[in-house]
Amino acid sequence: MTLSRLSTLLASGALVAAGVAFAQGNPPTTAPPNPATGAGQQSPAGGPMGTTGTTPQNTQSGSTMSSQPSTGSTGSSSMNTPAPSSDSTSMAANDPRPARADRN
Amino acid sequence: MPTGTEPGGRPPALAPAQHAAPRKAAASFAGLVLAAALAGLPMQPASAAPRAAAEQFAQAAVAAGDNASQPFAVIDKTAARLYLFDHAGRMTASTPVLLGLARGDDSVPGIGTRPMADIRAEERTTPAGRFNAEPGTNTSGEDITWVDYDAAISMHRVRATNKSEQRLQRLASATASDNRISYGCINVPEAFYDRHVKPMFSRRGRAVYVLPEVASLDARFPFLRTTGN
Repeated sequence: MTLSRLSTLLASGALVAAGVAFAQGNPPTTAPPNPATGAGQQSPAGGPMGTTGTTPQNTQSGSTMSSQPSTGSTGSSSMNTPAPSSDSTSMAANDPRPARADRN
Repeated sequence: MPTGTEPGGRPPALAPAQHAAPRKAAASFAGLVLAAALAGLPMQPASAAPRAAAEQFAQAAVAAGDNASQPFAVIDKTAARLYLFDHAGRMTASTPVLLGLARGDDSVPGIGTRPMADIRAEERTTPAGRFNAEPGTNTSGEDITWVDYDAAISMHRVRATNKSEQRLQRLASATASDNRISYGCINVPEAFYDRHVKPMFSRRGRAVYVLPEVASLDARFPFLRTTGN
């Protein structure tokens, strides 16, 4: 074995060792740098997805949209902003209301 | 039918009929109640008339399908009494309750967000109407039954924290007129609440009908017009 061949082997070994050391110092991450490309279809407004192909509208601009939940509403449910109401049947989930002071 | 009129094992509750022997405490509220009874003044017992009216109302609600085939409650403010019914309108239990101090059938707008200290006496009403009850929690961490969340009206176990209000004594008395003391909430005897109210309203959407004391029944419950009651 020549001296040059030995030095080549040593250099290769050093390179492998350096690569391993670098890899150990940079653990992989599951978070993509751009969440939009890694999470599939998302609402541009960050809210719930409505009907496919529609874009979120300004809830303040439409006179037909109400902030009160309504069982007869024809608007998209993703556009309503449910307000506290005594009509609990219109609430989608059985989530309890936030705790609040009662009138004793 | 269980009546559940016991005030939930609270020791200081005074039963006027058992309190004939005068003592210093008798000079207080319970003593006055007893004295009124002995003097022949009109007392309002848990008589058959309010019960019959509540049962008639319950039958109308069931006939109209307004209870959605669910158990429900009727609160007669005039009689200061809570009646519970099964899905078919059969009464299952009843109890005296404490109600809002002021006479009236509506809540002042925005009262649910106001501090108690800012609520005037005439604003301490228990609103009338049909409400969808739901289980919940107040800021003290107590499990309660919301009747009108927006107006902060709930049913809860009677609170005797303010001794001067004599809530337990008021519940124990035979009169209904002295059961008006709360800020609007419906105070229920503790044992009755745990045994009947909490299980019934452990799920949402069951109705609580609070009968009006000023407005007409028809005005508050449109289904009565269609059922002809």
